[in-house]
Amino acid sequence: MISKYLYIKNNDFPKLLDNLSADYRVFAPQETRKNYFWKEYKGAFQFSKYRTITPLRQFFTPAIEHIDNYFASNAKPGEKKPICMVGAKACDLGNALKMQDYVFLEGDTDNSYKQMREQNLIIASDCTAFKETCFCLALGNMPYPQELFDLNISPVDEGYLLEVGSKKGQETIASNKSFFSEASDTIVKQRENNRKITVEEFRCQIQPLEFPKDSLLNSLIKNGYGDKLWTEEALRCVECGACIMNCPTCHCFLLFDTKDENGYFKGRIWDGCQYKNFTRVAGGANALRLREQRLRNRYIKKFEFFPERIKLYACTGCGRCAESCPAKIDIRKIFKTLNENQNSAKK
Amino acid sequence: MNLYLPNKATITNIIEETPTIKTFVFKPASAFSFKTGQFIELTYPGIGEAPFTPSSDPNKKDAFEVTVMKVGKVTELFHKAKIGDTLGMRGPYGNGYPVDNFKDKELLIVGGGVGLAPLRSLIYALYNRINDFKKIVICYGARSPQDIVYKYLLEDFKKPKNVEFRLTVDRADNTWKGNVGIVTTLLDKLPLNIKQAIGVVCGPPIMMKFASLKLLELGFSPKNIHLSMEKNMSCGLGKCGHCRLGKYYICKDGPVFIFNDIKDMWDIWD
Repeated sequence: MISKYLYIKNNDFPKLLDNLSADYRVFAPQETRKNYFWKEYKGAFQFSKYRTITPLRQFFTPAIEHIDNYFASNAKPGEKKPICMVGAKACDLGNALKMQDYVFLEGDTDNSYKQMREQNLIIASDCTAFKETCFCLALGNMPYPQELFDLNISPVDEGYLLEVGSKKGQETIASNKSFFSEASDTIVKQRENNRKITVEEFRCQIQPLEFPKDSLLNSLIKNGYGDKLWTEEALRCVECGACIMNCPTCHCFLLFDTKDENGYFKGRIWDGCQYKNFTRVAGGANALRLREQRLRNRYIKKFEFFPERIKLYACTGCGRCAESCPAKIDIRKIFKTLNENQNSAKK
Repeated sequence: MNLYLPNKATITNIIEETPTIKTFVFKPASAFSFKTGQFIELTYPGIGEAPFTPSSDPNKKDAFEVTVMKVGKVTELFHKAKIGDTLGMRGPYGNGYPVDNFKDKELLIVGGGVGLAPLRSLIYALYNRINDFKKIVICYGARSPQDIVYKYLLEDFKKPKNVEFRLTVDRADNTWKGNVGIVTTLLDKLPLNIKQAIGVVCGPPIMMKFASLKLLELGFSPKNIHLSMEKNMSCGLGKCGHCRLGKYYICKDGPVFIFNDIKDMWDIWD
């Protein structure tokens, strides 16, 4: 029986990752000028204090994917090595993974996604700091993973407190027993204390944003359909799609057909509603022909459609959309303004 | 088999309906059946795919027909295809017309342009059990006499005793002796008990909008009006996100919707 909490020393952790490299391609965030990027682990591990620039979903639905060849193909499906991602943050798990699971597993199952969800290993970690655009707390989410991970690591004295979150996590521990010891109560308390401090510091950053209460977001979008803010904000949009590509809850894709040496194949590429042709039909009609319609559409999808479908906001407060937007379109400002506009209309 | 991959379907006949519309008869390589109103994705191998609602009798199992208007890259290639060519298809997707709910009712079917294609399949489905329905009025409008599809079938459509078929064109030519005017001009003086009657509308968005408004004005219940909505469905499975309409995906929750269920949503006609 493996207990829920274990302890691993700092210098044993890379050894664990080396062991895991036999079964997985191991990815971990690497820091470049205060930003973290997912890179393949090559023996040097560094704890990431906050989220990466790009979302975790790339490990479950790659940005471009060769689905399969069709009609008279001699191609043999290549064996794909599963991926272990070390340092996934709460904003890429939680609601983000729940809604990706809903999209790709409910109803007709997307087998490629299912396979990656089953085979990949998620080693999550606490945030010990946060970026300027981070605002998960304002949505009621915590900056430390609470669900949907296999293992989670929290930095403590000279090592990590390890929390087991799944059967796969347990199996991983079982086959690497020598690295772990039972976590003492002091260590567990230390984690609680660290988390409390981070949350308090984070709260100080969030407060000045005057972000509306998370229970209001749905009605702010519903009642904000005709708000002038959509036009004002969208005028700056350059349609680069960075907000989509970096979003952990965006899931839209386009199927495409092409040819390779094995014949015809069907592929899939990330798509999104900020692109001009997203809803264009043959003949030219386009339901979302204006940038303001497209910007609003993104918010409707996340704060109206998904709550209606699965009772959760398709937003985890990672702030990547605000961080990556060259036009500085900022979700935090959008909600603050909607709230102000609707409050002043009531008066 | 992966859910997004097409099956083979071979073209066994091509009917030129109008200068821009052709009907293709396909023999599917593996068993295929659909309910009237459901749609499929038709693939031009290696190039792309597009959604269509089959226009043939859903009871016919060995072949199906798709009527294609030439409007874009993929449909232009379909138009260049020849008898014997093998294309791809996957589906059927979505919900079709709830034909069983139409039993013992009076029906009004309004079609515009190539929108008669899905309705043709519905007409077959209804005619297969024609005595189940009290009365059927079919109103069809095309842009001009040469844009009328299924000219060779119109006489058959008129045959059942409980069917009235009305036809109009937006613009007449010298040979035209029939009605002139948009399809809504056919909707006056309907021999139907409007309050209980079922309405089915299919055509270009602008025509669907004005036909639906006309039906409401005449006294049709929003709960009885059935619309075939269209967007650029890519996956057909409610995953790719392209065809969202309010809380629905057209591919999965439609493409046939009851007007009452979507009337309060924004921009349904766009």
